[in-house]
Amino acid sequence: MAGLPQIQSIKTPDKMVVNATRPRRFSRVPLPFLIVIALLVAYGLLICYAAVQNDPDYSFSRQALGVAVGIVFMLGIWHVDYQRFANMSTILLVINVVLILSPHIPGLGTDAGMGAQSWINVGMQIQPGEFAKVTVVLFVASIMAKYHGKLDDPREYCKVLALMLIPFLCIMTQPDLGTGLVYLFISAVGLIMGGARPKYLVITLIAGICAIVAVFIVDEFLKYETSPGVYEYRLLKNYQRNRLLVFLNQGENLSDEGYNLQQAQIAIGSGGLFGKGLFNTSQSALGYLPEAPTDFVFCVLAEGLGFFGALVLLGLYAALILISVRIARSSNDLFGMLIVLCVVGMWLFQILENIGMDCGLMPITGIPLPFVSYGSSFMLVNFMMLGLIASVWHHSVSGGKKGSYANTH
Amino acid sequence: MLLAIITAIIAALIIVGIVVAVFILRSRRAPKTGAAAGKRVQTLETVGVSSSLASKDASNGGTEVHASSGQTSVKNPADNLKSRFTALGIFAGVVFGSLTVKLWSMQVLSSSSYARDAEENRFTTVYTPAPRGYICDSSGIPLVKNRTSLTVLAEPSVAENRDLLVRLSAVLGVPLNVVRQRIQDASAGAQSQRTVASDVKLRDVAFISEHADAFPNISVQTRTVRDYPFGALAAHVLGYVGSVSEDELNNQPEGRDIKSIDDVGKSGVEATYDSLLAGDHGQRRVVVDAQGEVKEVASETQPTKGSDVYLTINGPLQYYCDRRLADLVAPDRGMIGSGKGVAAAVVAMDVRDGSIVAMASYPTYDPEKFIGGIPQDIWDLYNTEESHAPLNNRCVSGLYAAASTYKAVTGLAGLEYGFAGKDAQGKEMTWDCEGSWDGFDTGVPQKCWLHSGHGKQTFRDGIVNSCDVVFYNIAKDFFDHSKSEGGNLSDTALQEVIQKYNFGKLTGIDIAGEEEGRVPTPEWKAEYWRNVPASAQWTGGDYTNMIIGQGDVQVTPLQVAVAYGAIATGKLMKPHLFKEVHNAEGEVSVTYEPEVIGEPEVTLDHLNTVRDALHGVATENEEVAKLFRKHKIDAAAKTGTAEHTDKGDDAWFVCYAPYEEPKYVVACVVEQGGGGSAVAAPLGVDVMAKVLDMDAGELDATMGKIAGSTGKEVKDLDTAAASGGRTD
Repeated sequence: MAGLPQIQSIKTPDKMVVNATRPRRFSRVPLPFLIVIALLVAYGLLICYAAVQNDPDYSFSRQALGVAVGIVFMLGIWHVDYQRFANMSTILLVINVVLILSPHIPGLGTDAGMGAQSWINVGMQIQPGEFAKVTVVLFVASIMAKYHGKLDDPREYCKVLALMLIPFLCIMTQPDLGTGLVYLFISAVGLIMGGARPKYLVITLIAGICAIVAVFIVDEFLKYETSPGVYEYRLLKNYQRNRLLVFLNQGENLSDEGYNLQQAQIAIGSGGLFGKGLFNTSQSALGYLPEAPTDFVFCVLAEGLGFFGALVLLGLYAALILISVRIARSSNDLFGMLIVLCVVGMWLFQILENIGMDCGLMPITGIPLPFVSYGSSFMLVNFMMLGLIASVWHHSVSGGKKGSYANTH
Repeated sequence: MLLAIITAIIAALIIVGIVVAVFILRSRRAPKTGAAAGKRVQTLETVGVSSSLASKDASNGGTEVHASSGQTSVKNPADNLKSRFTALGIFAGVVFGSLTVKLWSMQVLSSSSYARDAEENRFTTVYTPAPRGYICDSSGIPLVKNRTSLTVLAEPSVAENRDLLVRLSAVLGVPLNVVRQRIQDASAGAQSQRTVASDVKLRDVAFISEHADAFPNISVQTRTVRDYPFGALAAHVLGYVGSVSEDELNNQPEGRDIKSIDDVGKSGVEATYDSLLAGDHGQRRVVVDAQGEVKEVASETQPTKGSDVYLTINGPLQYYCDRRLADLVAPDRGMIGSGKGVAAAVVAMDVRDGSIVAMASYPTYDPEKFIGGIPQDIWDLYNTEESHAPLNNRCVSGLYAAASTYKAVTGLAGLEYGFAGKDAQGKEMTWDCEGSWDGFDTGVPQKCWLHSGHGKQTFRDGIVNSCDVVFYNIAKDFFDHSKSEGGNLSDTALQEVIQKYNFGKLTGIDIAGEEEGRVPTPEWKAEYWRNVPASAQWTGGDYTNMIIGQGDVQVTPLQVAVAYGAIATGKLMKPHLFKEVHNAEGEVSVTYEPEVIGEPEVTLDHLNTVRDALHGVATENEEVAKLFRKHKIDAAAKTGTAEHTDKGDDAWFVCYAPYEEPKYVVACVVEQGGGGSAVAAPLGVDVMAKVLDMDAGELDATMGKIAGSTGKEVKDLDTAAASGGRTD
């Protein structure tokens, strides 16, 4: 990677001296990290621009504004020492719960016509559940950091598990399964990378599967007949079931969900090797692709720029994740490492779920694609995440190196 | 495929690249750990100490994590969790790998099938209706053509826009409420555009087009509609077209591609030869978005006009017949009853090949009025009793008692079974007509039409004078010799001969709506009267009624014409209207092949006897003979008067000519018109004269517009007064 030699060069003692004497600002710029971000955001904006072309409901300038505000946020957080959050688990938990439950406040919350009570209206509609991803990351990392990479005590483990389930349970009141799954995934990454005992993790996994099965079984008893032959379930709504069923037997379902999936796959498949041209698409330009700028934005890319266009995006994601993981590895404290890894986990999960859903690998859930999907809330969140990673780099990696080298020499 | 393989390799390289990158990342750290390997135990100990210290710190009242990390700064915390980093790396690799593989399989391997689906989504084919072919008479005079009609269409939502409705009403000159009603009419489909007005003047259309802003959701379409240059001429033969029905859409005949935009033939030749007349749709391949809106037109093929169908009908002759019937029945402003009878039908057929050269039925209708659907007012009018069913083609679907025209066939049966003609000794049989007859000793004598009696009559006299008593006697013989009366003849011996001449059966003419008619049999009567056993008994009276074509006998004028054609030539020809098809290039592509539907087995002598008798009607029966003499026609003919107890008699006349070498047969009926010789014979002879003129090429080629029926009749019409004048 391009970044490696640079860090290597920093390692040399004489450069070290230079570094120590140079103004802090210039020495502390993780260049590869910024280059990848710039490329990714620019690519994402281009795709988003193509996707919003034919839909007057979306405005590209709003998305661009989201990026601009996001950069400001990122720079702000960069310079905040993340360590400040290390002992704020309780406060973070409270912020989480308030944020996630805020759409339930009468007069403030709205369902934006989408069915779930996930938005609040403060001049503009924002999704607090998205912003809570940042606090969830911090929350999970701060809990796990307390165990110094070794969580062996079953009672402690259960306590941690219970705490981590709180944001998920809160978001399920909206209900927003997609975001809830992201929280769960962040928590899982926190648990695994934070050093929880493998035995407990396996038990948790089995228990989780049992719980899902139990939900289905209990639902079978709770279902009621809305009209003859039509059943509504209480725990998992019918549309959620449909999404799952569509995923399980693709191509047979002609319901809305099946139609969406089919059109998404046609868009991807018809893109071919090099695509039809980003502004010459048929599936997305003619409106066959549902929710093109948001959930199905990847299809716009795949149709417009083909397999290679998709590979470029995947490559940029891989580069971002690689660089982030390296920062995590170099972090000289567990809290910083966990923050970065939780963010990486979140991105990985969102990428997998969003693209996987488009091409039929995963069930349909409304999870946006980082840096690409239309939506300024999530764009802000992503930049805040970048800010956190940069902060870890700034305060722990570049700074921590000094300590580590000092130790070696 | 090569491309796919190259892509696969590239994709594989990228995946390998990612994996390698992950390993490089690990190996970057490896030298460090490797360097530390020498002090491995020490390192581990250090970690152990530090971590135990840290946890101690934590348990000792939560010293800052920051501080503890400061203590462990010897190593990064990640180093303790190397295996977990590996797991994370593998997970990331699996995520990117599986996505890449899946995308590769979709976008490279099966891209073509997805591309096809996308094309299917993208393009929609819009069909434009094709103009139908013309229907022409035998010489090529178009009886049905096409013309363009400017139609103003509105979206359904326009009905709520009052201002626009007012504007439309003013421009088109249609009352406001009518405009609204038409736009609200959803019969053509909820989303379909509504026809506001057809045949709009070009000036009005131009106004609407120029002020498009003032007429939102209004469009003008040029439609091709049927044009009838001669109005109601041969309306029953030609039939009419209408919008395709749900049923027709779902049951499409083979080789015919009907779309919902099409007009299809609903009756007559338009229906029978619909698939020939219908052209090929024009196709527009358009790009549509998910909302069905047309974005661009990709390709367009023009519709092809259907083939022209030439009929055996002779235009000028048909014009004469249609006009003659109208003049006969409703000479005064189209009021039925102002002439003779309430309805009439005439059919002229070439006995040699079954070609129908004229087929007219009155009252008739104007198919022009049916364009774009039959208007409710006309539909209601034509369903009243006073209109006498103008939509009925009486030539094929009008059922009448055959009356004395039956005698040619029943007489032939009598000859065949030896109940008439020469007796065993070779002597001519004779009967004595006293005006009434009570051969079955019922006490209620049956009357001959000539109440004073014909005196001594031979079989030939019986036909020439149409003496009923002669036939009563023949009928009695049939009855007496029937099995049920102890004889050796079948109970239906008479009917079998009648059926040989295609009575009681469809002739198979190539237009729909044909009726079978009825030849009464004991079996039929038992079934018909099954609820009234007293009337179900087959009696001798049924024979005597049937033999003179009265009682339960029902025939159509076409059946009579076909049967007389068989008497003239010995062969039953299938009547037909279709002559040939001229395709778009004007070439004849299909020609009709004459078809024989039967050749009744009769003794030629007997047939000649009947022919001679019919010739006698045309030459010796003074009332009829003078008509033929006037036109110098040597014909064979028969009159008939079907009696009704409650209304006027139906007048019948049938003839074929020339007698020696028969070419044409003409059959006509005048419903409730009175006596056959008085009312029907002049009509039939006049038509025959024109037919022979046509054959000789001397027919006046004048043709004009025929009016549709008014549907009105003379007030307090009493046709019963016309009866009582029976002379046959």
